[in-house]
Amino acid sequence: TANTIPTTIKYLMDFHPAKCSEEPLHLSGCSNESVFEEEPAEDAAKEKAEREAQKQLMATEELVYTEKNYLRLLQVCTSTIRSNLQALQLPNLDSMFLYTEEVIDVSGRLLSLLDQKQVTPRDPLFVETLCDAFLSLSTDIESAYKEYLANYSNVSALENVYKQKESLWTEIIKVIKSSAPEVNATSLTFFLVMPVQRIARYPLHFQTIMKHTDPGHPVYPLLENTAHTAIALNCRINEYKRFREVADKYKKTETLTIRDKMNRLNSHSIAKKTARLSQFIRHETGISPKIVDEEFDALEGFFYLLEDGIATLHDNVEIYLHHLQRFLSCRPEEFDLDMDGEKPAICYKEITTALRQWILPTYEKRMRLLVHKPLCGLRDLLVGPRNLIRKRLDKLLDYERIEEKPSLTYDDQEVANTYKTINTLLLNELPKFNGLALSLLWGMLGAFSSLHKDLAEDMEQLFQGFAQQLPHSSLEPKAFWEWAECSVLEGAERLERLCQDVEEQLNAPIVQPLSPGSQKRLKVLSDKHGSEKIYQLTGPVVGTRDLELSLNKGELVSVISEMDTRGDRRRWLVDAGGPRGYVPSSKLVHYQPVTMDMPPQLTATTTDRAEGFRRHSYTPDIRPRPSDMPRTQPVFAGYDFMARSNHEVSLRAGEPVKVIEPHDKKGSRDWSLVEVRGQRGYVPSNYLVAMPTTTMATSPYH
Amino acid sequence: MSWMPFKIGQPKKQIVSKTVERDFEREYEKLQKLEDQTKKLHKDMKKSTEADIAMSKAAVKISGDLLSNPLCEQDQAFLDSMTALDTAMKRMDSFNQEKVNQISKTVIDPLKKYSGVFPSLNMAVKRREQALQDYRRLQSKVEKYEEKEKTGPIMVKLHQAREELRPVREDFEAKNKQLLDEMPKFYHSRIDYFQPSFEALIRAQVVYFTEMHKIFSELTDQIDQAGMTDEQRERENEAKLNELRALSIVADD
Repeated sequence: TANTIPTTIKYLMDFHPAKCSEEPLHLSGCSNESVFEEEPAEDAAKEKAEREAQKQLMATEELVYTEKNYLRLLQVCTSTIRSNLQALQLPNLDSMFLYTEEVIDVSGRLLSLLDQKQVTPRDPLFVETLCDAFLSLSTDIESAYKEYLANYSNVSALENVYKQKESLWTEIIKVIKSSAPEVNATSLTFFLVMPVQRIARYPLHFQTIMKHTDPGHPVYPLLENTAHTAIALNCRINEYKRFREVADKYKKTETLTIRDKMNRLNSHSIAKKTARLSQFIRHETGISPKIVDEEFDALEGFFYLLEDGIATLHDNVEIYLHHLQRFLSCRPEEFDLDMDGEKPAICYKEITTALRQWILPTYEKRMRLLVHKPLCGLRDLLVGPRNLIRKRLDKLLDYERIEEKPSLTYDDQEVANTYKTINTLLLNELPKFNGLALSLLWGMLGAFSSLHKDLAEDMEQLFQGFAQQLPHSSLEPKAFWEWAECSVLEGAERLERLCQDVEEQLNAPIVQPLSPGSQKRLKVLSDKHGSEKIYQLTGPVVGTRDLELSLNKGELVSVISEMDTRGDRRRWLVDAGGPRGYVPSSKLVHYQPVTMDMPPQLTATTTDRAEGFRRHSYTPDIRPRPSDMPRTQPVFAGYDFMARSNHEVSLRAGEPVKVIEPHDKKGSRDWSLVEVRGQRGYVPSNYLVAMPTTTMATSPYH
Repeated sequence: MSWMPFKIGQPKKQIVSKTVERDFEREYEKLQKLEDQTKKLHKDMKKSTEADIAMSKAAVKISGDLLSNPLCEQDQAFLDSMTALDTAMKRMDSFNQEKVNQISKTVIDPLKKYSGVFPSLNMAVKRREQALQDYRRLQSKVEKYEEKEKTGPIMVKLHQAREELRPVREDFEAKNKQLLDEMPKFYHSRIDYFQPSFEALIRAQVVYFTEMHKIFSELTDQIDQAGMTDEQRERENEAKLNELRALSIVADD
């Protein structure tokens, strides 16, 4: 089995949009039979280790195969397709291929490093070689891919320009298809998006290898390091892309107006003489100072609003970050339901892994750096002015009192000066404080918006790599959701049917012959309660409380009530042919006595019976009576019977009897006149058993 | 009663071959693993969705609380910025809600329904096991009688025992066959069942992030200073904070 290429690798190699319909590879089929005999525990562990080793090998091989295929396709695109496109004289064609050389080069070097060491994936040292190769090239990989990714938006924009001219685009597609007929490509970006995809796949590859490696293995730390490096590469490459974008945008002029607006806040006084702000103060402090300084009131009012706003914003931001962390802590992509290489499942896993491993963490980091941290810093600075404002108020009240005095003492003079100093200080500096604080807030909120934009951009870039692989990605939104919801409904219906089938077929009660005692019980219960409410015990029950019955498995009861006096539906009140009481409803299964009009299907062979109609019981009325069989058949007592009158005779199970008459004086075949142990008397006919001449069941009724 | 609680040992005849038993166990194990994964995936998706909704609402609160603070009205340009921010957050929240609804319908509900089949399957496997036990027990009983002297009572008992055994054996064989057929089929059905879910998950996010990009590109142009790297922003924040710290009123006595 190691020779067949697993399904996942095959799909990646062919880039085939059609679904692979091969059966999943049963790895456990690789081990040999002897594993399942003695000592299961030890061998189970060995088997597991073998499976993990196999999976690690698969993952390692996958990395190499996909790299080779990726390189090959890129080369086809940049050499064959490109030269064939020259004839079409497309504008700016060269800029499509701007950084492809570097990417091709570094991929080739990775593969040749592996070749040089002359190890194959099967070698125990291969993983180590792979990690070393990757790590040694990581700087070059970063520089090659960062330029490529930063430029990629230009590539797709240029292709859109080409798409505008239908005739030109048709020609392009013709060239592509003729240059690479085995690949089902319908655009240039089909090839050119591959580096975007590839760099994001490295972390996943290494992590998959890690997943199937024993943490105690010496190569594990190296693997871990490589996986982390791959993630860090992606973070830095994205950062660089943003950096380049920002640098390009700086050339625009309109962006300066926001800067101007913010700067204005610093220099001009925000103190406005609004009645509302003065009221605010009076309301807050409950004190109405005699000396009303409207300008100060306004400044103070603003400060309090600022304080409130900053505190609220700080709390809100912390709540936001808390939920972001909660989101990051979930890992639904790990439960992949073993979907056997189905594209949507794989794409989902890759997208979500990228989102959770570096795209969102980067976003969180920047949020903390550019919003949360300055916000905390700002909040800490509010203490000083707040205290000073309160101090000023106290001093003001003192000042008011002494102002009325005709002459001021030295101490009074001190008080007056203190008040005036504080007042002047606040009047001078509060405007600046308010202005700067507001401008800081503005900057933070601007950053907040920009971070969202970057997050969305990163995700869009990630999606680009997968767009062509999803079967229904070409559907318009409305059509897509219709399809999705429809499929889901169909799936639910199928499930329901399956459930029903399982319930009916597999949980049907067993056909079992009834003993005479059970038959009697059945008759009694049917007469008393009707035959619809008869249930059978699926297991023994033992009553522990008052009114609870103890019964054996297989006993028949009639259900009187499907709940107890307290409404508990788990205890049903039943009649056991005399005693009444409660039994657990979980041990009851409905019993259907079959009537005499049995269709001839009963005589069908055993195989038919399994699939078709399943009997739920049969009464001995249908079994051949000994009295119906030829007299030469030996007859025995099948069960003990206690004679209750002079006309009857007792039987012991197993003793041979001689049937004199197969009916009673009134002609009823329910009783037979027999001779046993020298005595004669009547016994119930169904207590007699006729033994066939051979011990195998050969009568047509079996 | 027709059942007597015999505690008879294992029958001599091999009722179920080792291969069949092993196949059965293997298929059942796969299903058990699938059950476990389905449950965990359902749980995790729910948790993740809850956090997602909470995050979006928290973002709306950030802009909402700011906008309702009279602080904003002190400067027209600032007010315009905050209004734009608030509008953007509210729009994103409604897109998020839409995304969550779609995921609920096409992913979370189907997951739950799929999990709901396992109790029936598990019960069916249990019943098969019970049937196997009954089969073994009755088979032992028959073998016991077969070994004894062939007297009349013994023959009767043997006949009865065989009669009892037959339906139980048939029942077990039917259950066994059914499960051996159904289990792999059900396991394989997950692929068709969940494919739309995975596609829907991706599509819903594509739509959401596309909108996010549009909305926040516009907003950022409107309220953010462009041409700033993270380092530059940090420096600017620090500079402003330092200017504040330099004020006399800020030093706390």
